Amino acid sequence: MEENILEIKKLKKEYGRNKVIRGIDFELGVGEKVVVLGPSGSGKSTFLRCINRMEEPTSGEIRLNGELITDKNIQRMRQQIGMVFQHFNLIRNLTVMENLTLAPVKLKLMDAVAAEKKARGFLRHIGLLNKANSFPAALSGGQQQRVAIVRAMMMNPKVLLFDEPTSALDPESIGDVLALIREVANTGVTMMIVTHEMGFAREIASRIVFIDEGHIIEEGAPGEFFSHPKTPRVQEFLQKVL
Amino acid sequence: MDEFGSKVVELFTTPEYIDSLLHGFLLTLQISFFAILLGLLIGLIVALVDTSERSKWTILPKAICKIYTTIIRGTPMALQLFIMFFVIFAIRGFPQIIIAILAFGFNSGAYVGEVIRSGIQSVDRGQREAGLALGLSKFTVFRRIVAPQAIKNIIPALGNEIITVIKETAIVSMVGMYDLNMAAKDIGSGQNMASYIVPMFVAALFYLVTIYLITFAIKRIEKHLQKSEARG
Ligand SMILES: Nc1ncnc2c1ncn2[C@@H]1O[C@H](COP(=O)(O)OP(=O)(O)OP(=O)(O)O)[C@@H](O)[C@H]1O
Ligand SMILES: [Mg+2]
Repeated sequence: MEENILEIKKLKKEYGRNKVIRGIDFELGVGEKVVVLGPSGSGKSTFLRCINRMEEPTSGEIRLNGELITDKNIQRMRQQIGMVFQHFNLIRNLTVMENLTLAPVKLKLMDAVAAEKKARGFLRHIGLLNKANSFPAALSGGQQQRVAIVRAMMMNPKVLLFDEPTSALDPESIGDVLALIREVANTGVTMMIVTHEMGFAREIASRIVFIDEGHIIEEGAPGEFFSHPKTPRVQEFLQKVL
Repeated sequence: MDEFGSKVVELFTTPEYIDSLLHGFLLTLQISFFAILLGLLIGLIVALVDTSERSKWTILPKAICKIYTTIIRGTPMALQLFIMFFVIFAIRGFPQIIIAILAFGFNSGAYVGEVIRSGIQSVDRGQREAGLALGLSKFTVFRRIVAPQAIKNIIPALGNEIITVIKETAIVSMVGMYDLNMAAKDIGSGQNMASYIVPMFVAALFYLVTIYLITFAIKRIEKHLQKSEARG
């Protein structure tokens, strides 16, 4: 039996009468890289954001390592679920170094010295050690997103969620950010990625999940998914984007 | 012109007059200072209640804040002052200065609440989400992320509110309190034009200099806060 890190049952999310997630069952195995595809407005972001309760699910169960995620334990659960946003969301009033060390130190996962050492290592690795004491505003979009990725890695997350991590970037920076995500993937961390970069999806995914109107309508290995899509909806989608 | 000159000289050489002006000025400063402090305290509470999540515990406080700000913002300051003086605190011997501080403090609180609330709400949603997604508590997210960014939006508007309070306190002369405004009128009661215009000009100068100094201080603070995010 393969071990599951996330188990999601009958997840639903409604905004008033707008049913955005209409009952999703989903399991994520340790080390998997799942890419979530789907048309705009299909609920990809909402699905991802329900997992760490950036959005409160209307109903359904989400388990992390077998433990039900609730309002009570959400803070502890979020420490194990990293999230990378489309607009980076580096904390503007904190330096790059402070962005990396605030949470792990405040949450007592590391002492300040160890956190700084780890952060320096990461920053050196992504070539931004000289920006350690800069504020986010002084960094390019691509640089900010790479810092945001290592900020998530500072927490040693069990799962990393990416919501369109390259959609707000210029073409040149996209490559840098994808390269870093690739590297992070190779460390073995479990990932879910929403992206419109089809080439990257095919390359990095161990499984593709396609969402349409709040349902998972098709999933499978990337080779199979891209070359032999089963549902007409996916065939139509792939014809448009490829 | 001669009359003006001699009146200015008279004003600054008659100890009685200087004394009156300074006393008036001191009262204006006292009322303003404590009213602003009270306004900040009330405003902060109102803003925190206003921006807190809806739950069964916050329904009543939210309603109270709503009623409070609606009443304060919907009625004239002078009327609020009269009601404080002649209705709520119509108690013989109750210190007038306290009544005035309460009247202006409660008035200012409604406006300060609005300033702080909109300052908090203008912080980009992603900033809060980034903190929460890392597993930080709501309190830590507020203290380390939202509040420092909100302050940048709040300071300039707060400066305006402080200035408004100082100028508005001049209406305490309507209930017979001897503030700077009243002092100017009192000293000036005389026969010719110069004798009442000059004290008013001097009082105006007092207000102007005070407000100029505050404006200057606020600008300095603003600059300082701007700088702290721009380092490359
Ligand atoms: N906070 C909200 N309040 C109300 N409706 C919302 C909210 N967030 C999302 N929605 C609605 O939910 C639906 C799905 O949105 P979502 O952002 O999850 O789509 P998506 O698949 O990520 O789309 P995209 O590819 O454009 O990012 C949309 O119709 C959107 O209008
Ligand atoms: Mg989205």
